[in-house]
Amino acid sequence: MSVFLQALVSGIVIGAIYALMTVGLTLVYGSLLTLNMAQGSYVMIGGYAALVLFEQFGWSPWIGLVFAVVVTMVFGVATEVIAIRPLVGRKDIDFTMTAWISTLAVTLILSALALLVFGPESQTIPPLVAGTIVIGGVTLTWQSITILIIAFVALAGLSRFLNNTRHGLSVRAVAQNHDAARLVGVKTKQVYMLTMALAGGLAGIAGVLLAPLYFINPVSGDLPMLKGLIVAVLAGMGSIRGTIYAAFMIGLIESLSSTYVGAGSSLPIMFAIIIGVLIVRPNGLFGLQQEDRL
Amino acid sequence: MLKVSDISAGYGKAQILSDVSLEVPEGKLVVVTGPNGHGKTTLLRVLSGLIQAWSGTATFMEEPLLGCSPATIVARGLVQIPQGDLLFQDLTVEQNLLMGAFVKASWEKRLQGLERVFALFPRLEERRGQQARTLSGGERRMCAIGRGLMSETRLLMVDEPALGLAPVLVQELYSTLREISRSEATVFLVEESFEHVESIADYVYLMENGRIVHHGTVAAILANEQLRSVYLGA
Repeated sequence: MSVFLQALVSGIVIGAIYALMTVGLTLVYGSLLTLNMAQGSYVMIGGYAALVLFEQFGWSPWIGLVFAVVVTMVFGVATEVIAIRPLVGRKDIDFTMTAWISTLAVTLILSALALLVFGPESQTIPPLVAGTIVIGGVTLTWQSITILIIAFVALAGLSRFLNNTRHGLSVRAVAQNHDAARLVGVKTKQVYMLTMALAGGLAGIAGVLLAPLYFINPVSGDLPMLKGLIVAVLAGMGSIRGTIYAAFMIGLIESLSSTYVGAGSSLPIMFAIIIGVLIVRPNGLFGLQQEDRL
Repeated sequence: MLKVSDISAGYGKAQILSDVSLEVPEGKLVVVTGPNGHGKTTLLRVLSGLIQAWSGTATFMEEPLLGCSPATIVARGLVQIPQGDLLFQDLTVEQNLLMGAFVKASWEKRLQGLERVFALFPRLEERRGQQARTLSGGERRMCAIGRGLMSETRLLMVDEPALGLAPVLVQELYSTLREISRSEATVFLVEESFEHVESIADYVYLMENGRIVHHGTVAAILANEQLRSVYLGA
């Protein structure tokens, strides 16, 4: 029983990180209608941002967390300005596919740069909060509890922003009706930048939270990106709430399968589930209504 | 208030508008009518800045209009209510209206804006927490018009507001628009059916194949036998 509970808890924790990572994909898909393949890079960059402060100055990962958010927001906006904006509204190109390729190129460049600057070896940062606590036979690290709290605060803050503020509402408005948003005075370019900044910042948080569990290296964003895509396909692009549910489902599948079936089994099992879902519900689990966005 | 001179425009290489000129004086209800697919909506899209004109000029409150971004145009008080409402389906009625006050100066006064719109359409206040997708056709139209009145609107351009509404609602809608034109903002209407607007319009332009083929007061157009038989099917 306690093995099961342990797996359950770590599934929820990993799911929370995937949610942070994938909500950014959903937000950007909502406004730009393309998959930002550089999303995983922000996870890697977030980790390095915290690492640099820790290694160079011995600063706490908490300061690293804040710094990582700022840095990854800048990288998000830079991706938009350099690799996406020049393609928006161009005639005779398939924007979705072209932007997909150009953001994939961005991610390869960023990995190569990280290799040049930081070298190939895997590094790590200490957890935000050290130590463990035993509740009902289940050993919880304070880090896991901290991850859950941070993810909850970040996602609740995002929801508040999207529902109650002028700029937050404009993000949803653009996702739901481009022309109508422009007709009330929304500048779509600003919204693209804003969504890319949010996507970057959320992935940056995920990067700092993941770093003590896994490692930071030039390709440490690749696996989270792959998981993010799996979550996005499972959820059906477009709905933020659906994305969050799907992230927790994937987290649980991952942790339960590696506990009960064996390490290395989780990816094949996830892909099998994805194929099954795509055959039965081509729009994903939560993508039933195509218009049901954000 | 709005002066349009010799505007030509289109999509890609297809020309839709040819040398369109018209004028909307402050406080008057001006209508462009004519068959569907002949450029009426395109004209509004040009004036809102959604597409660029190929040639011609337009001024709004004596200031040039063409080349400005949609955001600038809305901020200057020229607001379009698009055909088919284009509500934000998953936002609530209140959130839809608030988006109408997106321009910064209007956002500061958004609560007064809501009050004004709710006074005009009490039904929207009852529905304020509901998602726009759950509204009836008539309520959707109210929400779209209300959204257009949330900013410092001086001239409201309304595209085919009767589309898809039951006849009884159409009458109600036009009397509301008449009321708006008297108290809130000048109204510039695009409407396929001359019949719908003959009782409320001050001045009418007939558009065919992207050109203004005739214009005059309702009385003058009704008095012209040839126009009545060719364009108005009467």
